[in-house]
Amino acid sequence: MEDVRSNAGHNLGVAALIVGILTFVLAVIPCIGTLAIIPGIVAVVLASVGLSQASKSDAPRGMQVAGLVIGIIALMIAFSQLFVAGRLARDSSKWPMDIKAVIEGAKDEVMKDLQDGSVSIKIESDGDVVEIKARSRRSDLEKTLEELEGVDEDTSDTLTKAKSDSLGKTN
Amino acid sequence: MTHLERLIKRVFGNEIKLRSEPYIVINLVFAGVIMLIFAYSGIFSPYKDNYPVVCIHQKITGMPCFSCGLSHSFSLIIRGRISEAYEWNVYGLRVFLFFASQLLMRITFSGYYISDKSHRRELIIYDIVASSVIFIVVFYPFFRQLILSFISFHGTGA
Repeated sequence: MEDVRSNAGHNLGVAALIVGILTFVLAVIPCIGTLAIIPGIVAVVLASVGLSQASKSDAPRGMQVAGLVIGIIALMIAFSQLFVAGRLARDSSKWPMDIKAVIEGAKDEVMKDLQDGSVSIKIESDGDVVEIKARSRRSDLEKTLEELEGVDEDTSDTLTKAKSDSLGKTN
Repeated sequence: MTHLERLIKRVFGNEIKLRSEPYIVINLVFAGVIMLIFAYSGIFSPYKDNYPVVCIHQKITGMPCFSCGLSHSFSLIIRGRISEAYEWNVYGLRVFLFFASQLLMRITFSGYYISDKSHRRELIIYDIVASSVIFIVVFYPFFRQLILSFISFHGTGA
């Protein structure tokens, strides 16, 4: 006589597997990941009930176990999405100060770059090329200014000396 | 015999009982869900911006998330505007292709399952492996982002 095995909990197992897989896909997407907690719980409950029924009547349990495992993993991913969103929301109060500090830092860097920057403009028209190169290295400019001031002082000293010499000769 | 079972017998020539074939039931449900997703993308317009599903992540944190713009992206892909879809969400096209490939796989694999009784077990194993690999490849950036968020929180002692 052929041994006929019971089919108890089979339909619940199929339902749990379907809901579990759909929850898994939903849970991975951050926009709706937190919503996946609800179908995740449904999948786990369905699988658990199906597993319980199958255990009582010694029916195959593969489908229910698969549904339960996928449901639990999906639920974990959904909870992790909620955790990440919650942490981001909690830390968001610090963001304005952080953003301000980043902007200030960027501003300082841009100003420094502009002070020590070099500009090159190249214009091409009908084969003629005009290239303008300008450099605004602050340290070099300061050095040039100092040199020019030094030359002026020397020149003025020479002029004063020449003037006094000529006056002395006249007297 | 249900209408669906009669239709399957007419198309494939083999009689099948849906109650005893969970693989076909699962495939039919997934194919239906994917077609609903495509219908959702087709019905709601990216120009009117009348999508009923809003980003929960943005509602909680106040900042857009990794998957923001997927609905717009799907709608634009359905309308053939791929470059615009790419601008809405970089991963829109790959996720859309995942769903499209899954729809195709559900229909094709169901057809093989019904018509070829001798290789059903191998077919199911192949389906599980192939679908899992495609899923991981497509959703890898999403997993990565989630893991990085966890690490960053752990690293800052939060």
